[in-house]
Amino acid sequence: MSIVLEHLTKRYDGHLVVNNVSLEVGDGEFFVLLGSSGSGKTTILSLVAGLVPVDQGRILLHNRDVTYLPPQERKVGFVFQNYALFQSMTVSENVEFGLSIRKVSAAERRRRSDELLELVGLSGLGNRKPWQLSGGQQQRVALARALAYQPDVLLLDEPLGALDAKIRTELRRNLKSIQRKLGVATIFVTHDQEEAFDLADRIGIMSFGRLLEVGTPDDLYRRPQTEFVASFLGTANQLVGNLTPEGIEVGAWHFPIFNNLQQMSQDRRVQVLFRPEDVALTPDVANLDCPRLGKAVVEEVAFGGAYERLRLRLPAISGVRSISPPVPFGSDSILVDTTRSPEQASRFPLQPGDQAWVGVHRIHVLAHPGLSFLILTDGSFRSQAALDLGGQIARLAHARVTVLGCGKLDKALQSHLQEARKQLGSGLVSLEAITFESDPVQAVQQAIEQRPHDLIIMGFNHQEDLPTTEQILDFGEHHLLLVPRPQPVPGKALICVSGGEPGKDDVLFAGRLVRHLSADATLLTVAAPARTEGGWWDRSERYLESGVRSLSLLGVPAKTVLRTGTVPEEICAEMRNGSYDMLVMGAPLTRPGEGISLAGVVGQTLSMVPDIATLIVRSHFIAQGSWNR
Amino acid sequence: MESLRKPLSRLAQLSLRPGKQQVSYQSPWGRWALRGTALAYLTAFLLIPLFVIIQDGLREGLAGLWHQVTLPIAWNALMLTLWTAAVMTLINTIIGTLTAFVLVRYEFPGKMLLNSLIDLPLAIPTLVTGVMLVTLYGPQEALGAWLKEQFDFSIIFAPPGIILALLFITLPFVVRTVQPVLMNLDRSQEYAAATLGAGSWTIFRRITLPPLLLPLTSGALLSFARAIGEFGAVVIVAGNIPLYSQTAAVYVLGEVESENRLGASAMSVFMIAISFGLMMLVERLQPRQ
Repeated sequence: MSIVLEHLTKRYDGHLVVNNVSLEVGDGEFFVLLGSSGSGKTTILSLVAGLVPVDQGRILLHNRDVTYLPPQERKVGFVFQNYALFQSMTVSENVEFGLSIRKVSAAERRRRSDELLELVGLSGLGNRKPWQLSGGQQQRVALARALAYQPDVLLLDEPLGALDAKIRTELRRNLKSIQRKLGVATIFVTHDQEEAFDLADRIGIMSFGRLLEVGTPDDLYRRPQTEFVASFLGTANQLVGNLTPEGIEVGAWHFPIFNNLQQMSQDRRVQVLFRPEDVALTPDVANLDCPRLGKAVVEEVAFGGAYERLRLRLPAISGVRSISPPVPFGSDSILVDTTRSPEQASRFPLQPGDQAWVGVHRIHVLAHPGLSFLILTDGSFRSQAALDLGGQIARLAHARVTVLGCGKLDKALQSHLQEARKQLGSGLVSLEAITFESDPVQAVQQAIEQRPHDLIIMGFNHQEDLPTTEQILDFGEHHLLLVPRPQPVPGKALICVSGGEPGKDDVLFAGRLVRHLSADATLLTVAAPARTEGGWWDRSERYLESGVRSLSLLGVPAKTVLRTGTVPEEICAEMRNGSYDMLVMGAPLTRPGEGISLAGVVGQTLSMVPDIATLIVRSHFIAQGSWNR
Repeated sequence: MESLRKPLSRLAQLSLRPGKQQVSYQSPWGRWALRGTALAYLTAFLLIPLFVIIQDGLREGLAGLWHQVTLPIAWNALMLTLWTAAVMTLINTIIGTLTAFVLVRYEFPGKMLLNSLIDLPLAIPTLVTGVMLVTLYGPQEALGAWLKEQFDFSIIFAPPGIILALLFITLPFVVRTVQPVLMNLDRSQEYAAATLGAGSWTIFRRITLPPLLLPLTSGALLSFARAIGEFGAVVIVAGNIPLYSQTAAVYVLGEVESENRLGASAMSVFMIAISFGLMMLVERLQPRQ
């Protein structure tokens, strides 16, 4: 392996810029890091080059640990976005710089510089000064300079970003052939998808400091693992369907299971992706040679050069929810984006308002369905805290966010929601705001009926909000995050599991969330002294160990703690001891209307730890009564 | 009138800036009045006094001027002025660059304070500077006495005192000319050099320094020019001992007081010539648009 990054982490002012990134780049491989600006891709290059010190993790170049070496000793060639040519030197002097540092003879330097300038197509321009060259030429000088001393690896930071489109495509072709010729392992950073697809042997997708997925361009496009990657690359139609023993069920339509889906998700809901080119359109249902979605109305037709782009609207399908393209809130219909070749278009011309049968040739099931958060706000101070923390967590977890405004629908609430939208807007997968002029409980109930959410986030005061919390838990399977006051994104979570209860579910959702936050987790179980006989310790330890194992599968480092005593007091003591900033407790999953009481351990603990965000995780394995013991 | 103006403006276009015609929103009278005021002011307050002193210095011709300047005491004062200024400029260039570098590149407690202290010498009356130095290094004071006793080295009433005073006064010149250039310098060139294997000294010498050379030189020349005319601090510190610690500016005062106007004017003309030459040089060094 030419480049190996192990658990690389970098913070700027406490802000995670590179978050636990591990990556291997093979010999001679052209690897592209793709992500929007601010996703941390450039920082990774700076870390590899040694321009920025590493906080945690290791960097190996050709099996040599360079983590703590200065840039001079790493033997990397770096091409900067702004070229960074030495203005006081000629083009040849620039190219020869690395060699002159290494005391290579003048004749040899000249030979090498001529050779490289020829390689990048600039022979004869050696005596020019950098400012006498065009942008594209300067970039090629920068490349020649980086390659001249034969570095072990080549790092390119958006090298084509500042050039115009035509030169860019030409240089791209050049770059690829030069890289092939020299066989030097390369990391290329860009935010341009087309560039990435064109150049890469493999692509790594970055978002908010994390390397989400790595794969060949084809793999990432056709078989993405996460919702983010699915919608980041190209256009994606995404639906939520069900996983049944017969296969994937989307309305009336069944797809056989083709990969080991059962292991992927214990959820019955699965997220289904199909690309515009996978969609088939026919005038009548008999002509459809693939599973059909239904009869749709054409909404838009656009000319796209080599192909025609259409957007179609399907009527609601029961049990199916559309994720993208997004539909306006309250609408049940499903939008589908598709493309057709001119030939297909001329065989079956379509205008807006026409009807067509929609079928899908192939679907892909996402291994990790995206999360969806509902943030409850009434404009109060503590709901502001919920908005803050919820927004940050959603950004890290790539969750879709719905902001739910409730209470009196006046100007103040409207402007508050507007402000919230603005504040949350950047970096969220999707964001919508809805309002209901009712109390929080009814508002949540109405919103949930429209569309279920994985997590509801709300401001919380243990003296006032406990009954509301209980009622919100009562209608649905959502988890709940209570935010008593403004706080930064949690870095250390205490997950309380009830000893003897077999449920790993308690741990699973919490673990997923904690992984997104890249926080540390501690599993705690507490028992009254009277119950610690008869192998309790052994059983609890084994139980906690299995929890740690499932957390480590998620990539969350976890510790375990066993305590005896009164449950709320021990939880409280551990919270103080370990300076945790998030508490996770379980609550039962009940049938709607059955009623949930938090009066026991949860309620007591909430009143004893009143100022830390608390996640209430729902589990089938927690019996209604168990927390009250 | 109109027919006359057209060919004229075309001529202006041809000869000066092809294709670029200045748009005027003022009446011609207003424009000329403005220029006239500025020129009249300059003439009255700058050119006439300059002309008068040059004329006075050349009263007995170039030979007479040369004779006055090459009198032993005058010549010695002039040489002392030049070499102390030169030594000061050398030190100031190095330390000034270093200070600018530290101020731009490093973070440390008290940086803001230091940054504002740099300009203080411009605000302090130079006489006060002289008094401060005498108070610190004077032969009666602890430090001055100790230096004299241990190393037989006197600062006050001797050339080292002059250099110290000049250093103090011209501190801002190099720092303030180098600082903005250093601030706007693109760091990625240095990073690029580092990845290519250059050590920090090589990076400084080959990458950082070249763009600083021009501002550095003009800062140095400015401080040199400023030092030649320095009077207030030097008159207190130097002790005004002819042939030993009397500088040109102090010499001029002496000649005025002893009513040798020709000597005073001749030396003045000489100093004006040096300063003017330096300013021309600085002007030439400024990067052009």
